[in-house]
Formats: sequence, structure tokens, C-alpha cells
Amino acid sequence: MTLVASVPDTWIGKLMATVRGSRTIRALDVAREEEAVAIACGANLAGGRGAVLIQNAGLLNCGGILAGLVELYRLPCFFIVSLRGDHRDPIHYHVPKGRVTVATLEAWRLPHAIADRAGDLAAQVRRGVAQAEESRGPYVLLISGEDLA
Amino acid sequence: MTPRKPFLDALVALLTPRDVLVSCLGANARWLPHMQVAAPVFALCDSMGAAIPLALGIALTRPDRHVVALEGDGSLLMSPNVLATVAAARPTNLTSILWVNGHYESSGGQALPGAPVDWPALVRASGIAHVTTVETPAAMAPALAAARRAAAPALLVVPIAFDAGEEIPPYSEKPEEIRARFRL
Repeated sequence: MTLVASVPDTWIGKLMATVRGSRTIRALDVAREEEAVAIACGANLAGGRGAVLIQNAGLLNCGGILAGLVELYRLPCFFIVSLRGDHRDPIHYHVPKGRVTVATLEAWRLPHAIADRAGDLAAQVRRGVAQAEESRGPYVLLISGEDLA
Repeated sequence: MTPRKPFLDALVALLTPRDVLVSCLGANARWLPHMQVAAPVFALCDSMGAAIPLALGIALTRPDRHVVALEGDGSLLMSPNVLATVAAARPTNLTSILWVNGHYESSGGQALPGAPVDWPALVRASGIAHVTTVETPAAMAPALAAARRAAAPALLVVPIAFDAGEEIPPYSEKPEEIRARFRL
């Protein structure tokens, strides 16, 4: 990637810290998730490789821009999203988001996968990026806090 | 107060092939296919609030190009957070142009919430220091030239008259055509 736009979450903090240390990736802190999507799409339109790194609460904010920008213009957009509220999350107030995230991705017809930490995570990222580029659309890789611990 | 089109004409006449133009939905996106624009154009027909962050992604990726984003006051009121994001990202090649007419033109001309938003003050308070109000079409040239020289994110506030009877052409390009033609 050349640019990663992110709104923070505890579970993606370590990954974003690594991105910040990269010499080749521009780490961009943004105020809201829809912006991150548009920024990543802009980077892709300009010949770079943009990605979005957010929590699932933020992904749930993004229905409008996914439909009206990413899908409508057929733009590649790769997401890594922390799946807060899944069975591995100890914090009770995330549970309602965890309950609806995958169902929402399916309702929105967003290609997605839940990261398999027993496998090669880098290969899963590469596959997601490739799928977004080949399909000219979104791809969401859902991660748990344990995946990057 | 002057309507939008003379301002848009003045702006488009100033663009070069080295610039990039990103347009919000609505009248701008509908007029542009009918104008001679020297710069590559990416025009939205949906996604209120996406023009400035889309332009930011382009500007950060292509620092050799000057990117101009067109946005409306209704769209920016929906997502003013982007001002702080732009200020923090500090692109040296991004000028945003904010059309202020107090109306949601595309959805039927409804008025914005009736708060007297002080746009230049809001933009400055968000961390964008280079803010200019463009009162006449003739003032567009010096304002854009100063924005280009600013070496910092710039925003031009353009108050325009709302004309419910303006005959704006319909959307004439499909999104995939716009994307396919957009080459830097």
C-alpha cells in the first residue's frame, strides 16, 4: 500500500503503529470513516494503493459512501476492520456491533473474510487487496485483537 | 449576489492540464461535461461530502499536481470533520472551493438548517489558515493564484445566489465513463 487512512481502535493500534513506521506508506489519521474511504479511493484513482483501517462501528457508518462512491464508480477499496463484539471480545458494549457486522456485510454484498490467525495473515491481506483490484470494488478483512497480538 | 455559473466559468478558465478537478454532486457535476475543462475531472453524482476527501487522497498521492475540489455548503455541513483531516494532512497542493448558497440544490432546493454558519471562521478554526472569500468572478483568478502559492491547504469560500429556476443540464455521463476517462 502507499496510503492507509485510519480512525483509531484499540485492536488496530499496533497495526497502525507499524504503518506509521513505514517508509513507503503514508499513515493518515482521519476524523471519520467515510473520509477514509474517499481518501483511499482518491489514492487509488491517482495511481497509488489506498487502504482503510477502522473499527466495525465505523464500517457501519459507511453504507452511503460504499454505495454512492465505491460501488457506483467501481473503485477498488481494501479495508481491514476490527470485529469488535465477536465472541473473543471481552468488552460488553461492543456486543451489539459484533452481532450485526457480518450480517450487514452480507446485506451490503461486500466481499469479506474473517482473518484466520492460524494461517498466513500477510497472504490473506494480499488476497484481499488483489480481489479489490480485480473486482474494482470493496473487500473487507475482519480481524480480532488476538490476530495482531 | 452573483449566481454560480459565472464563478464556475472563471474557475474553469484558470485550470491547466497539470491540475486535477474533483467535483461534488449537483450543478457543478452537471455543468462540467458541457464546458471545456483543461484538467482531468472526476465528478460525483452521489456521496455528499466525498469531494474534498477524494481530492485529498489524489493530492497526497500526486504532489506534482494541484488538485481543486468543489464542494457545497450542504455537503460540508454534513461532514465538516474533513476540514480538520485536511489541516492535519497538510497537503501543499489542495485547494477546496466551497459554494455557499444555503440550499440543497440537488434535492429540490430545500434550505439548509437555518443557522448562520460563519464558514471562513469554521474553516480557520479547523486549522486551515489560508481562507479567502471570493465575492466576484473576477476575484477568482487572484484568489486561486494565491491558493496555489500558499504551499498549504487552501479553501475559497464563494457566496452565490440560489436560483431555483436555473436551467442546469441533467447528468450526461455515467460513473464508469467518468472513472475510465480520469487519467493523470
